[in-house]
Amino acid sequence: MADPASTPLGKMLLEEITPVVMVLCTPYVEESCLKNGLSLIQLLSPFCDFTNIDVPVRTASDQPYRLRKFKLRLFYSSDIRQPNLEVAKERLKKVITHVGEKNFLESSDPSQVNNLLSRPESEMLPSWFQFFNKELVRTLSFSDHEAFDHPVACLLVVSSKDDEPVNRFVDLFNTNKLPSLLNDGAMDPKIMKHYLLLHDNQDGPFNKATKLLADMRNAFGQNDCQIICFNSSQDGKIHHQDNPWAPFKSDALPTENLGGFLNLDDLNEIKDFMQELSSKHIIPYMEQKIRVLNQQVSATRKGFRNQIKNLWWRKGKEDTIDTPNGPVYTFNSIESQIRILGDYAFMLGDYELALSNYRLISTDYKLDKAWKRYAGVQEMMGLTYFLLDQSRKDAEYCMENAFNTYLKLGSAGRRNTTRCGLWWAEMLKTRDQLKEAATVYFRICGEDTLHSAVMLEQASFCYLLSKPPMLHKYGFHLVLSGDHYKKCDQIKHAIRTYRSAIPVYKGTTWSLIKDHVHFHIGQWYALLGMYDVAVTHMLEVLASTHQSKTTQELFLRDFLQIVQKTGKTFEVLKLQLPVINISSLKVIFEDQRTNASAAAARVKESLWRSLEEDIIPSSTARSNWLELQSKIMPRKYKESNICVAGEALKVDIEFKNPLQIPISVSSVSLMCELCANPEEDANSSNNEVQNNEDRTSTSSGDINSCLILSEVDFSLEGGETTVVQLTVTPRIEGILKIVGVKWKLSSAVVGLCNFEFNPVNRVVRGRRKQHSPSSDLKFLVIKSLPRLQGFIHSLPEKTYAGDLWPLVLELSNQSKSPVKNLKMKISNPRFLYAGNQKELNADFPACLKKKMNVEKSGRHANVNKTLQNLYHFPEDISVQEETSLSWPLWFHAAVPGNIPLYITIYYEMEGVSSIMKYRTLRMHYNLQVLPSLDVSFQLSTRPSRSQEFLLRMDVVNKTSSECFQVHQLSSVGQQWEISLLQPVDSILPSQSLFAGQSLSCFFMLKDRRRSSTSEDSIPSLSHIQSDVRLGPQDNSEAFFDVSSSPLADFHDCERSSRGMSSQGCEYKVDFVFITQLLKGNSDSSSNTPLVFSHHACDCSPSSMSPISWLVDGPRTIQHNFSAPPCEVNLKMTITNSSDAIASVHINTFDSPSSNNQLINDATTSQPPEHQSGWSEIPIVNDTKIITTEALTTRVPKSLSLESVPQFIWSGTSSTKLVLQPRSTAEIPLQICVFTPGIYDLSNYILNWNLTPVNDGENQGEANKSSGVCQGYPYYLSVLESNFKD
Amino acid sequence: MTSTACFIIVSRNDIPIYEAEVGSAAKREDAAQLHQFVLHAALDIVQDLAWTTSAMFLKAIDRFNDLVVSVYVTAGHTRFMLLHDSRNEDGIKSFFQEVHELYIKILLNPLYLPGSRITSSHFDTKVRALARKYL
Repeated sequence: MADPASTPLGKMLLEEITPVVMVLCTPYVEESCLKNGLSLIQLLSPFCDFTNIDVPVRTASDQPYRLRKFKLRLFYSSDIRQPNLEVAKERLKKVITHVGEKNFLESSDPSQVNNLLSRPESEMLPSWFQFFNKELVRTLSFSDHEAFDHPVACLLVVSSKDDEPVNRFVDLFNTNKLPSLLNDGAMDPKIMKHYLLLHDNQDGPFNKATKLLADMRNAFGQNDCQIICFNSSQDGKIHHQDNPWAPFKSDALPTENLGGFLNLDDLNEIKDFMQELSSKHIIPYMEQKIRVLNQQVSATRKGFRNQIKNLWWRKGKEDTIDTPNGPVYTFNSIESQIRILGDYAFMLGDYELALSNYRLISTDYKLDKAWKRYAGVQEMMGLTYFLLDQSRKDAEYCMENAFNTYLKLGSAGRRNTTRCGLWWAEMLKTRDQLKEAATVYFRICGEDTLHSAVMLEQASFCYLLSKPPMLHKYGFHLVLSGDHYKKCDQIKHAIRTYRSAIPVYKGTTWSLIKDHVHFHIGQWYALLGMYDVAVTHMLEVLASTHQSKTTQELFLRDFLQIVQKTGKTFEVLKLQLPVINISSLKVIFEDQRTNASAAAARVKESLWRSLEEDIIPSSTARSNWLELQSKIMPRKYKESNICVAGEALKVDIEFKNPLQIPISVSSVSLMCELCANPEEDANSSNNEVQNNEDRTSTSSGDINSCLILSEVDFSLEGGETTVVQLTVTPRIEGILKIVGVKWKLSSAVVGLCNFEFNPVNRVVRGRRKQHSPSSDLKFLVIKSLPRLQGFIHSLPEKTYAGDLWPLVLELSNQSKSPVKNLKMKISNPRFLYAGNQKELNADFPACLKKKMNVEKSGRHANVNKTLQNLYHFPEDISVQEETSLSWPLWFHAAVPGNIPLYITIYYEMEGVSSIMKYRTLRMHYNLQVLPSLDVSFQLSTRPSRSQEFLLRMDVVNKTSSECFQVHQLSSVGQQWEISLLQPVDSILPSQSLFAGQSLSCFFMLKDRRRSSTSEDSIPSLSHIQSDVRLGPQDNSEAFFDVSSSPLADFHDCERSSRGMSSQGCEYKVDFVFITQLLKGNSDSSSNTPLVFSHHACDCSPSSMSPISWLVDGPRTIQHNFSAPPCEVNLKMTITNSSDAIASVHINTFDSPSSNNQLINDATTSQPPEHQSGWSEIPIVNDTKIITTEALTTRVPKSLSLESVPQFIWSGTSSTKLVLQPRSTAEIPLQICVFTPGIYDLSNYILNWNLTPVNDGENQGEANKSSGVCQGYPYYLSVLESNFKD
Repeated sequence: MTSTACFIIVSRNDIPIYEAEVGSAAKREDAAQLHQFVLHAALDIVQDLAWTTSAMFLKAIDRFNDLVVSVYVTAGHTRFMLLHDSRNEDGIKSFFQEVHELYIKILLNPLYLPGSRITSSHFDTKVRALARKYL
């Protein structure tokens, strides 16, 4: 380690622990000195510090050594007392405040921790700490328990102007005027005196002074008197380079010329005087005193005998004195003498001697329990050890001991603790034990918050400078220090420390810490009136989600207050409140494609594209590269998004409130730039280039502005998220750029958010292109075009399945030019269907009714039925300027569920724009269809008559409250005749189906075509009973016409949607079940009943296989079984109703069990679709077609239950025959019965195979080319005949 | 049970991933940030001490006035830091060990990204229960 004396602590000690010279002077002396702007002490001070005095010193030992450094401290006698605490505090406070002002202005914050550490150490550590520490130590001077502040000598100064200077000298050292410390015995009043006569050369000639000097020498002795002549310069203009007095007069004004009357000779004279005073008088005096004291101490305390005596003596004293400060020692007590000896030795640099004396006295003080003195001695021992650089451990131990002892004294030793701590910390710092030093600084903190603040700040720097740097601790102590500063109203210091801590906490996730720091800095800046800076810091804490509700409220309130105080609206680029979800940004703009509603805009683009695929002219949708499109469209039009002047661009943005408290957001609007198209400037009426001005000058109401921006106000509850739609409407052609969004928080702060460099998730209406995100927000505004607005009137949002309802589509054209060539495509033709224009004003539901007298025209509409949901409006239809067009639509709620409806309408404009020739209008509706009636049909053949069928209809009302009135059941087509088996009144007297009620009805269905053998004899249409009235029979109300539009059209849609051919198959029958709902009370204003139609398609009976047969024969026979077995002849009539040649194979089984077995085999081995009577049921179909599979299952069951007596089929067990198309054959069958009983003759099966005559005629039948049929139950009763022959 | 206790799990990147005030004393608004400050400052000491011993429990390593910081360092250098005002070293040690087990269970969760915030409410209740038991 370097020489301890050259360390900061060493230097400080050599400066502070030096002999004190008491100065006594007359007013004239002061007056003369003040001519130079200096007091006497200030005048002399620069010459009291000797860096190389080189004086031989001989203390206790005989070996002299040379003293190099020496310093005298000069004090007026009035200052030799313990400094006033309050004054000292005030002075320190002033020092700190001054530094605070100075540093605050020039402080520059390092933003990064690395920058912080890269600076040199001297720069990092504020220099004022040392100054402050020195001042702090000085507040403790002249304490009564220490001897190094005792005056060693007294300098008496008298001016030559004084009357009778010799007497004045005597007067000066009058005991009454001496400091109290000297008088009350704490200090030795018998000190060396030195007499100085000061002669001001301006006052007169020098010779008078020499005479006075001679008088003095006579009076006080030859050696102790001296004279100084000064103020030799007459004009006072001498300017000293490197002014030696500057450090000693801190409050000097810069303009003041210190020492102006002192020329070089004067300075030399003063210097020589001080040197002589030190080397010739003070040092020898001290040497001598040391020697004397040492001798005294040796005599009384050294040696074994003295020690025993001392110990015994002290033991005796123990009980008597117990004052808190220990016993009072006067200067001439032996303890004080030892202390003086030690301090003198210390001051003269004889540390060994000092240490031995300190050791000696410390045990004494300890035994006496004079704790303050003990601590003082321990402190000095520590310092001595340090300067000797011998034992670090001892030094530290002594310092700690002293520190703790002072601490034990409580408030009395408070300031001593501080001083001791400072020295200790300095000592540790010198030895690079910075961490320990920091702890010591921390321990110094006491009652005085201001001092604590400084100590804490010093501690923080210790942590920063330690290796490796302890940044966390650094930050923490800075913050602690800042808090203390704040408590003492040193706001500038507080801000400074907090700001220094920011780099440590930058980017930290310790959120509470970060909030605390920024919030307080903000608050304090606001206190200083620096609102701008305050706001920037407050912004950091604004979106603190983790804080409690009250804290969030506090933050927001303070922030708004500060903003208010600034008196202007702040524009903050990254305002965190509310949070904008940039990824949620959606730009909705309309080029060719326009939306009727906001709902339509939210639908996926691909859905629309697939819908519009075949109605948009392909040349624009998908251009051939061979076509020179650039001729038609300039390149830039293709590259940027197009929007139309006068039409609004919509931007959806999500705002989120991260806090728990509600916030109000107002004036949310887009920031846009619109510059008129430079190429079209010439003919554009508005040449003005609208640039950034638009950002500020846009208001929603200003018609003349080129941009119309919407403004939205909303408030967000805690944690709420809301999507806001903002619009911008360009009014002139040009290029529009959406720059960002701005909003006002609590009508105080304006937040801005730029979209520029954020990825934008667009929902574009135009072509998709790969662009940089910034160009996504750039739009080419073209001349205004006609834009149709569409609306469907009275489309219900919620309805019951089956609802049939006329609607009106209204298309209005607000522009100045007509549109034509309208086409419409509907995504779901089962639900919506375009009608004829003449139906527009038709009376509903009367228009659906059958008109008996009118020639059926319904089929005509179906002939030119549009293909694939595409509806062309008639050629002559166009929407003229500023008119609207109404078009009827039919609505039918086909299936229950949530049904989205997409409608797109294509139209063309005439010669308005070269860029856009057509546009589409997209409409989107969502329907909620509730289940209403569950209708199922079950068809079975009448075994006896193959042309007649039994129809069972089951209807269940599934609604919870509605009551349906059944109206009619109709079969579609003309080949079926339907009739009720029993009057409806008997099963449903009220004719209405209440909620939850179910109804079963039986009908007779007759195939009219089969019933008549020849095709020609089809009765006239009017006689066909294809409809059955289920309502009141006496009602003359007409049937609904299921064969005309719209019922027929909807029925076709139903069929096609279920994957069936539109052409009805001859073996299958479709039904339409129509009910009515009387809405008297609720929403419907009219009392016209709602019509509900339910469609069932392709009902077919199980046995409607192409082969049908009948077993005919006797039912009951009587037979005498004593005779040969009874033979029964039966006849089987087999009919082939198909158009193919059928080969039929009849197998008979005698054993019922084997029969059973075979059936099971047949059902398992054959795929279900080959079994007759099965048909796939579509899932969407709500009207279930139940076909009986019971036939197959019932038979085995019955067989197993009954124990059937044996009978056998006689003849061949297998018969094979071929049937021509539409022919009938008869086969004789015979059984043999052995015992009387009832027999079930169903144990036979029919295998049939179809060989089609010509392909393609019956596609539906083609796959059903073979089948297996189980025999019917045919019960034969055989009785024992009683008569015998 | 101690009147004041603040438990924080700090990831190896010095990011707090779990925080809980587990003291029985009424929660004070300003205390929470003081606790964070003290614990944050103690990270420096942990940094020094963690490599001087093979034990995971570092005992009381730092103090601020009457608040003591006890630290437990896992093998992955995740630090469990407890700020407390009582001197129950055994209890604290057991507390740390049990929390370590819980933390390992959290780590075993394949959906948990090490170093991210622990949001499991189950973990939270368990830690609080342990705090009641041991502290």
